[in-house]
Formats: sequence, structure tokens, C-alpha cells
Amino acid sequence: MLEVSQSIQRTISDRYKSSFWVKAEMIKLNFYQHSGHCYPDLVEKQDSKVVAQLRANLWKDDYMRINADFEKVLKEPLKDGVKILILATIGFHPEHGLALRMIDIDPGFTLGDLEKEKQETIARLQRENILLANKQHKLPALPQRIAIISVESSKGYADFLKVLQAANRNWGYAFFHLLFPSLLQGDNAVPDIIRQLRRIRTVVHHFDAVAIVRGGGGDIGLSCYNNYDLAKEIALFPIPVISGIGHATNETVTELVAFENAITPTQLAGFLVQKFHNFSVPLKKAEEQVAALSLRMLNESKTKFTAEMKLLRSAVKSVIITHSNKTVLLARLVSQNARFIIQNEGRDLAGKAVDIRRHTANIWNSNKVRNAQLVATLRKEIAGQLREKSVRLAGIEQNLRNLSPENVLKRGYSITRSNGKLVHFSRDVKQGDVLMTILANGTVSSVVQSTSHEDNE
Amino acid sequence: MSDNPNYTDAFRELQEIVSEIEQGEISVDQLSEKVQRASLLIGICKAKLTRTEEDVNKILKDLDGAPD
Repeated sequence: MLEVSQSIQRTISDRYKSSFWVKAEMIKLNFYQHSGHCYPDLVEKQDSKVVAQLRANLWKDDYMRINADFEKVLKEPLKDGVKILILATIGFHPEHGLALRMIDIDPGFTLGDLEKEKQETIARLQRENILLANKQHKLPALPQRIAIISVESSKGYADFLKVLQAANRNWGYAFFHLLFPSLLQGDNAVPDIIRQLRRIRTVVHHFDAVAIVRGGGGDIGLSCYNNYDLAKEIALFPIPVISGIGHATNETVTELVAFENAITPTQLAGFLVQKFHNFSVPLKKAEEQVAALSLRMLNESKTKFTAEMKLLRSAVKSVIITHSNKTVLLARLVSQNARFIIQNEGRDLAGKAVDIRRHTANIWNSNKVRNAQLVATLRKEIAGQLREKSVRLAGIEQNLRNLSPENVLKRGYSITRSNGKLVHFSRDVKQGDVLMTILANGTVSSVVQSTSHEDNE
Repeated sequence: MSDNPNYTDAFRELQEIVSEIEQGEISVDQLSEKVQRASLLIGICKAKLTRTEEDVNKILKDLDGAPD
């Protein structure tokens, strides 16, 4: 094979002896920091289609010179995706293959086909006033429901989901996503993506945003994203379309019209997660604030309450002390007064007792005198009465004496008895009865001869 | 505000409550009620963060009904 390769090398070096100018589009500069060399990818396109592709070598010294020229003219460094006019030689190396060696670049040559198409597309969208249409939409605070246009097996899709899954794992953020598979590069990407966008349109109420996610592929074939039809479809899409097409060189029109563009799918997913953070962080802060502020408020109330309590307690204490002092004073006063009153009353009582004794003695004495007088009077009275009674008794005695049977008998009266009984009436006796007649100086016994009665008895 | 606000409304109301408490516009008596409302709103917001109710089958059914 080496012989074949060496043969090719000879043939080519024989055929291409001199340098020549080549028009090409430099898809990628491929600058190597370490060596300082570049290995640009060059293409030629017709109607946005790559029709030729060649690798080139741009050695360190050439690169530095050319880049300085380029920067001077274009106000930007030599970079991917520019159309260039180069002075080159062509060579073949058995180990490295066919390559153009870039000796010089004409910086006056304008941007490449890609850039031209892009500018034309942008100009047209601008004319139609839809360039910024998609950016006018409002992304929900939580863009949860994402329609993804991607390739299931692609690295970009995997990267995108990885970020969403990590967000779910780490913070519990819930995303809903549904894949709408589509080609993402090359000529067929445009109609394929448009077809999926139209499918999503029919169920657009289920979604918050559409994400076009591509990554892991080369940069060739990205011209589709400068396509007018695709850009228009995206611009006029009813909800935000976000893009992470994953190439760092030149922003495509698709990315320009998209609601949001990120360099990589990972960063695009990060944009969505950030929206969640933007919602979640203030929410968390609010939650903490509610807790902290409530606590503070309660503590303040508690402090205030405690202070009031302290105040109340000390006020009460001082009132109690004041009153207890007053009470002690009053008690002392009362007991002093009481003692005083008791002493006074005691003295008073003693005085009264003396008075009573004195009065009693007086009364006693005066009573004694009166009693003596009464006794004397009584004696006198009794003696009088006795005298009077004895006089009367003497009279009565005389009368009694006059009435005694001896005196009566002496005066001629007699007492007649029969059978021992006193004879009062004539009927008390009958003929034959023996009568005993008692006289003043003896008795006479007689027998009744007759009796007569007077009926007036 | 309704008892089932969307998360933007819920969050706005939550912030209003926070600022009310912050400004000392509410009394200790109202505090419990406000904190309860706040935790309800926080719950609503958190639920929105952590749940979606989309159903793939429903979308696929809707897609089938539409011209491809």
C-alpha cells in the first residue's frame, strides 16, 4: 500500500507544482493550541448542498500572519463557517492523505455561502416582520412540558434529558417531555423538522415549549438551520421554541429566531432548570421568610409581654409594699389606739367601780338609817296595836266570863240532861224519864210527869 | 383570591403575605391564619414544581386524530 500511496504522492506533486487560488468555505478551522497549526475543513456548496470537501493544512507561521490580516479587514478572527479565497498548494502524504496547504487567504473575499444564505434569510424574515415573533411569546414561569425534536439515540438528546433527570433527582423538579423524532442535519432535516413542528402544533395545548436538540454530530450539514422555511416555521410557532443545536461556531438563523438559544443541549436544559430555580429559590426564601418573620413576630410579642409582665409584677409589688407598710402602720395605730382606749376605759371603769362602791355604801347607809327608823316605827306600831288588842281582849274576856255556864247558872239558868244528853226541847223527853238538872251549886234529879209542846218550834 | 390559584398567583399572594408580615401590617391574632394560608400556597407552588399532570397517551390520542 505504501507503494500505491507513494505513487499517488509522486503523481500529485508532478501534476500540482505551483500554487493556485481556491474558493472554498471553511467549515471548521481546527486550530490546535499546542502546536499552533490549523487543519481546516474546506467545502464547496451548491444550493446549500456540500458538493466538495477537502482537508487543509495551515502551518503556525502562515496562520499567524493570515489571521492578523483577516482580523484587520473583517474585525474578527479567522473562524469556522467563513467562505474564503485561499492561495494553496496541494499535496499527498502517504500517512496523512490529501491536503491543501494554505499559503495565504484573501481577507477581502466576503463571508461564505452559508453566511450569505443566512444573511438573506435574516433579511427576508426582517422584511416580513417575523424575525423576532417567537421571542414575543411568554414562557410560563415553570416551563414543565417540553416537546423535544431530536434523535432518540443522539448524544445531545441524552445530555438534555440527563440534566432534566438530575434536576428531578436533586430538587424534585418535574418535567414532562415527549420526543418528536426528526433528522437534524443534512438536506432532509428541514422538511422533517417542519413536519414535527406541525404535529406538535395540533397538540400544542399540552406543551409549554418546543426544544430542538442536536449534539454530537459534526458541523457539516448545519446549513439547514439557516433555511428560510424552517426559520419561518419556528418564528411563527405558537409557543416558545428553544434551540440547543450544539455547535459553537456561528449562530444559525434558527437559533436567532428561537425564543432562547443555548450552545449545547446541556446548557439548553440548564436554561429550563434555571427557570425552575428562579421560581423555587424565591419560594424557598418566602417559606423561610414566613417562618423567620412569624417567629420574630412571636418573639417580639413574647418579649413585649414579658416586659409588661415584669412591669406589672413590679408595679403590683410596689403597691403591695406600699399598702403593707400602710397596713402595718395602721395596725400599729389601731393597736396603739386600742390600747389607749382600753387603758382609758379601764381607768374609767375603775373610777366607776369606786363610784359604785361609794354609791352602794351611801345607799346602804341611808337604807340602814331608814330601816332603823322603820323598825322603830314598827316597834311602836306593834306595841300600840298590842296594847289595843290586849284591851279588847280584856273586854272580850269579861264578856266571855259573863257567858260562862257558872255565871249563867248563877244568874238562875239551869242545864237539863236526860240519859246524859242535853235537853233542848220538850219532845226530847217523855213521861217517866229521869231528868238531871244542873244548878249553880249542885244538881237535882227529877222524874217527868208530863210534857207539853208549843208548836211554834 | 380563589382557593385553587395557579402558581404565579399563588406565589404573588405568598409574597404579599411575606411583605405584610415583614411590614408588621398584621397582628399576632392574624398571624396564625396568614401562616396557614402561606403554607397552603407554598404547598401549591411546590406541587407545581414537582408534579405534572400531562398524559402521554392523551397526547398520542390527540396526535392520531390529527393529520400527520
